Amino acid sequence: MQYFIQVVVDGVATGAIYGALALAIVLVNRATGLINFAQGAMAVMATFVAFALTRAGVPLIAAALAAFAFAFVLGALLERVVVRRFEGGDPDIAVVATIGLLVLLTGISAAFFGYEPHPFPSFFPLGTVNLFGVFLSFRSLGTIVILVVAMVALQVLFRSTKLGLAMRAVADNPRSSALSGLPVSRLLMIGWGLAAGLGALAGILVAPQLFISPGMLDFALVYALAAAILGGLDSPVGAVVAAAFIGVVENLAGAYIDVIGDDLKIAVPFAVMIVILIVRPQGLFGRKVVVRV
Amino acid sequence: MRNFHKTTRVTGAVAVLGISALLVTGCTRADTSGTGTGASAGAAEASPGITDDSLSLGISSPLSGPTAGPGSCSVAGLYTYLEAKNAAGGFEFGDGKTRTVKLTYLDDVYDPAKAVSNFRQLEGDGIFAYVGALGTPTNAAVMPVANEEKVPQVLLVTGATTFSKDQKTNPWTFGLLPTYFDEGAAFGKLLADAGKAVTVATLAQNDDYGKDYLAGFQSAIEGSDVKVVGSATYEPSDTTLDSQVTELAATKADTLLSAVSVTPLQVGVLTRAQDIGWLPRIFLPSNTSTPATVIEPGQGTAYPALYSTSLTKVPVSPAFADDEEVKAYNAAFEKYGSKITTTYTPHCAWSYAEGAILEQAFKGMTDPTRDSFMTALHSITGFHAPLLLDGITVDTTATDKPAIQGIQLVQYNGKGYAPASKY
Repeated sequence: MQYFIQVVVDGVATGAIYGALALAIVLVNRATGLINFAQGAMAVMATFVAFALTRAGVPLIAAALAAFAFAFVLGALLERVVVRRFEGGDPDIAVVATIGLLVLLTGISAAFFGYEPHPFPSFFPLGTVNLFGVFLSFRSLGTIVILVVAMVALQVLFRSTKLGLAMRAVADNPRSSALSGLPVSRLLMIGWGLAAGLGALAGILVAPQLFISPGMLDFALVYALAAAILGGLDSPVGAVVAAAFIGVVENLAGAYIDVIGDDLKIAVPFAVMIVILIVRPQGLFGRKVVVRV
Repeated sequence: MRNFHKTTRVTGAVAVLGISALLVTGCTRADTSGTGTGASAGAAEASPGITDDSLSLGISSPLSGPTAGPGSCSVAGLYTYLEAKNAAGGFEFGDGKTRTVKLTYLDDVYDPAKAVSNFRQLEGDGIFAYVGALGTPTNAAVMPVANEEKVPQVLLVTGATTFSKDQKTNPWTFGLLPTYFDEGAAFGKLLADAGKAVTVATLAQNDDYGKDYLAGFQSAIEGSDVKVVGSATYEPSDTTLDSQVTELAATKADTLLSAVSVTPLQVGVLTRAQDIGWLPRIFLPSNTSTPATVIEPGQGTAYPALYSTSLTKVPVSPAFADDEEVKAYNAAFEKYGSKITTTYTPHCAWSYAEGAILEQAFKGMTDPTRDSFMTALHSITGFHAPLLLDGITVDTTATDKPAIQGIQLVQYNGKGYAPASKY
């Protein structure tokens, strides 16, 4: 039983890594209706800013804030300069443009910092708490707590603030929003900026474990996209729950089903995902969008 | 329904990307195969990539991604040796000519498909030989192509047995390093010789790399009191090995054989096991045992003992600061290799020694052909390559062994490694 709980807890901790990035993907989708494949690369670039600052002796918390600010500006700028040209057009083209950004940003990070993975300091000490024989590391615990706080904050932003409402309106129908006096351009930039900031947070949280390198989030992005789609692309809660679900299912299958073992376990959550999406195409927590004619 | 619709669009975009990637690799194949067959027609005339005053070599290693550190070093050490020698006048060949040796290097991100396309590109560019590439899965993918095209694929920076054990079937392929089998066996022998009951958990990469360690280890503990009580595997693309470590920690084994080749993952193993209160003695493979990049970030001093194996003097260690070979290496690396990487892993020293082995082969080459090169390469005995530890020599004559033989089991002492004597 103890082992079972440990496996589940480990799964949630792994899921937290995917969840952090999935939240950023959801935020962009909420704000602009797009899927941003460059989310991971933007997060890595911001994390590199924090990395360079900590190396220069700046305390981690200050470096993290600087990275967050950098990410916000980067996100807003990319939206204004690059993505803006593809909005309102064919979403396929916009998606391909973000894939282009992914390659470009990864290359820029590599040009400055090289491809070798470097250790990155953590907010939380190494070590664990032992709850009834189940070990939970401070790092995982910290990541999960911050993630839940970010998730709640996002949910509040979209559900209960004017800014959130305005952003939703813009994502849903930019032309009507503009006609009703919303500053569409600025709102889109804010949406991308916030998402990039959230990505920076994700990058800083997972870098101590993955080691920082330009490709740090490449594999995590696959899981994050899966989590975002499984949870329903427009639901922060859904993304986080789905990410935890993916982590737990993967671990349980690896630990308890001998045929699957450690080698095939990554396939299990994806198989489950396909089944769920067939039954609920809008995802676990997503809402069906009804278009009135 | 909008979400669902978008998902299919994204899937579509990804599929298109995949197809275009396939098309690109397909084209490369068609482009270069012609060059290859034409080249190996006559034995007497010069092979591609060699003239009276130059010879060109090619290498594809991971220069980006998680294996970039070792990969960059596998290029940087060799590049250092070659460029230093070029600057000193060039290499003397067995046919009496002196040539400068040029090295072209490409990045394969530790991806087998990319390694094959790089190999074909290098072949198309007219390299004489493909040397020193790092990576088990990548070299395994290149091996059939190299042997079909009769291009030397030699002194590979991998310890997998595959590349050396059957040189009759694959006459153009040849490994550099003592095998992972030998490493695993050296560690197994240490435990078996302890003369008491020892329990072991094993964690291994799910490919030839991991399997060789396990096979070597098993062969050495046969019939002893050493018992394997748990085993787990992983894929190099995994983001964390926490669940594997949890699984193994449940066995409470005395010892962990951690055949993990990816640096961040190996660090994760070290931090994770101590986090959950499991403190076994740990064996680390030679390529993920560097103190600065693995043991220090992983807080390895928490464990009762850390073992690894060693082949070479450590140029970055003060213990070897006065060694003449180390001084020569450091001066040359500063000048040439540091353009490629500044982070030291043992692969830098290995590939530097590899340069010296190539030089020996060039000296024995009587014709400017690949055949002559292979014959010369397989005729080196008792050669001491620079940086190799005493007692470790180069012998290329066996048809089932790599170029460098002998291995030293070492134990971490808080600063660096010292020879390990007993468990």
